[in-house]
Amino acid sequence: MAREGPIKAVVVVLLTALVCSSLVSGAVVLLRPIQLNNQLLDRSRNIMALTGLLPADRMVKDDEMLVLFKSLDARVVNVDTGQFTTELDPDTFDMRRAANDAELSTAVPASEDPAKLGRRSRYAPVYLVWDGQELDRLILPVRGAGMWSMLYGYIALQPDFTTIAGMTFYEQNETPGLGDQIAQPRWLSQWSGKQLLDDQGTPRFHVSEGKVEPGAVHAPFQVDGLTGATVTGNAVTNLVHYWFGPHGYQSLLQHLEAQPPRRGEDES
Amino acid sequence: MALNRSLTAPLIDKNPITLHVLGICSALAITNSLMSSLVMSVALTIVLIFSNMAISLVRHHLPSSVRLIVQITIIASAVTVIDQFLKAYMPDAARTLSVYVALIVTNCIVLGRAEACAMSNDVKTSILDALGNGFGYSLVLIVVATIRELLGAGTLLGYQLFELAQNGGWFQENQLFLLAPSAFFIIGFLIWLIRTFKTEQNEQPDFRPMALPTGEKRP
Repeated sequence: MAREGPIKAVVVVLLTALVCSSLVSGAVVLLRPIQLNNQLLDRSRNIMALTGLLPADRMVKDDEMLVLFKSLDARVVNVDTGQFTTELDPDTFDMRRAANDAELSTAVPASEDPAKLGRRSRYAPVYLVWDGQELDRLILPVRGAGMWSMLYGYIALQPDFTTIAGMTFYEQNETPGLGDQIAQPRWLSQWSGKQLLDDQGTPRFHVSEGKVEPGAVHAPFQVDGLTGATVTGNAVTNLVHYWFGPHGYQSLLQHLEAQPPRRGEDES
Repeated sequence: MALNRSLTAPLIDKNPITLHVLGICSALAITNSLMSSLVMSVALTIVLIFSNMAISLVRHHLPSSVRLIVQITIIASAVTVIDQFLKAYMPDAARTLSVYVALIVTNCIVLGRAEACAMSNDVKTSILDALGNGFGYSLVLIVVATIRELLGAGTLLGYQLFELAQNGGWFQENQLFLLAPSAFFIIGFLIWLIRTFKTEQNEQPDFRPMALPTGEKRP
């Protein structure tokens, strides 16, 4: 066959496309279950780290961690009303998929959308950590647009619902070395003990523009800014302001404050 | 002998980064930690071997009109497969490297070697050339990453070698080394160093001042 000519060119391109696409799709299909499992493990480990139930002195194996994770009190909350619901299963409810589902999601008005979500799920899976009959921590999922990517994380609150117990980002694609520092344990560890809301219940917490000055009026509401990552830092501030503002978990927190949840009940 | 040359020449004499100044974007972006540089080096070397091998195998059947399309398709497939493998078996490394694994497609070294070597050489030479260039790239990445991680964070592969001043040690880290511009300077110094000893790598200046005819004076 001649080396040149349009027919030959088309045949070669088609054959290459066929071989390469089967190679790629084969790899994707074969590796997908392992990747999903990794994501699940990673997300559960992030949540578990916020519960304070993992021993700090040693690395917990995946199996043991999953057992602990399954034993958490997981519930689905209706974000708009602030009420728990039993209609959805917290183990299988996918908040991310729900955000694109017309029935399960709601549009965020542009004026109230600092986290640039567009739509958000009307329901959220939340985790309650108990110490005996007392609520110890409340873990809530949050997300918001960063500089390049959607930031997905969880925030843990003390039973007063304004003191932060911990924060984690389990998925982000910010600038390597700059914005991705938001996922570093050293930076996240500053969050615990900080105050989320002011006296009126509006979110006051924010990522500072430099180091937090100890003793300053704002200090209890601030964490250090990240050098070279101002946009990502502002995005984190914005997502906190959205999720704890009137369109976020405000009604849930008010509801929980008025009627503290009890262990072992799914509806209140 | 000739085969050995295609393996060893790209290490320093024909290094893809310091001589050809290719693959700079990833060399700037991911060399802030030695671990990600190692993973990146392995990933790029595997992609390079696969693409050189595949392209060399089909080189006699490639019409030159669609040559680049086929090459890029092969390279992109290899990169996607590697990316999926990393996400499945090294999720932490994949998270750190984020988009840069996928960006191997745009790494000029891969397409450059496909064009310069695999299109005109047999499979064996192409594979050796791929190995050599992969190692040459890895060598520069490892040197740059070692300097950056050590001076920027006092660690190597995550182990604290220099005790930081903020933790009561003696070492004041320089966070500039964690930012991409520092790699720009380090690679610049590397090129300077190599060309000081290997003067044949120096390029001829593009422009020369015009010589004045003898006997004439400048106005």
